[in-house]
Amino acid sequence: MQTSSQKLFSKALRLNLLLSLAVGVLGSGLGVLFFGLPGVYSSLIGAGVSAIFGAMTIGSIRFGSKLGLNGFYALVLGGWLLKVLLFALLLGALQGATFISGPMFFFAVVGSVLGGLAIDSYVVLNAKIPVVEN
Amino acid sequence: MDVVNLAELSGNIAVVGYGLAAIGPGIGVGLVVSKTIESIARQPELAGRLQVTMWLGIAFTEALALIGLATPFIFG
Repeated sequence: MQTSSQKLFSKALRLNLLLSLAVGVLGSGLGVLFFGLPGVYSSLIGAGVSAIFGAMTIGSIRFGSKLGLNGFYALVLGGWLLKVLLFALLLGALQGATFISGPMFFFAVVGSVLGGLAIDSYVVLNAKIPVVEN
Repeated sequence: MDVVNLAELSGNIAVVGYGLAAIGPGIGVGLVVSKTIESIARQPELAGRLQVTMWLGIAFTEALALIGLATPFIFG
């Protein structure tokens, strides 16, 4: 059976994926208007990258909470380290690419990240988590 | 008066940017996690609530890292 905090993480994960989908669709529309086809690719890649990294954070805490304290922190912090390293490598690979529009990619990533923070805050503020739970 | 080069650097300045974008959030996430461990050690029955609060702290801190790493696309 799921604890209330596990239910909360599942809800946040669903909402974050929906947000990335919305940013991808909206960004594609704006991208094709302002930057042409590279704008579409940029917004889709930016939204996809943010979705994967947001999901990695929530997923690591969600599944880590089933492990002991050491396993939990190994998964959360190891996941964070891996994520930042992957993100830096991916951005390095994308930087010279001609099919990417830099400003569109930046705004897709920032829009998804800030929207994700708003969702996280909303989910936590509206959560009902008992003080003591087994 | 002639201009003299005393030192010369080669390489990409973006590497320094990556370091700056990683160091702040790295310290931030370390502080969030260390305080959560301390709190769970004091009151293990509160682990669920503390993990949720920790997640929010990590999310805000890592947002800074992700935005910092993406800045070369707009300022580069």
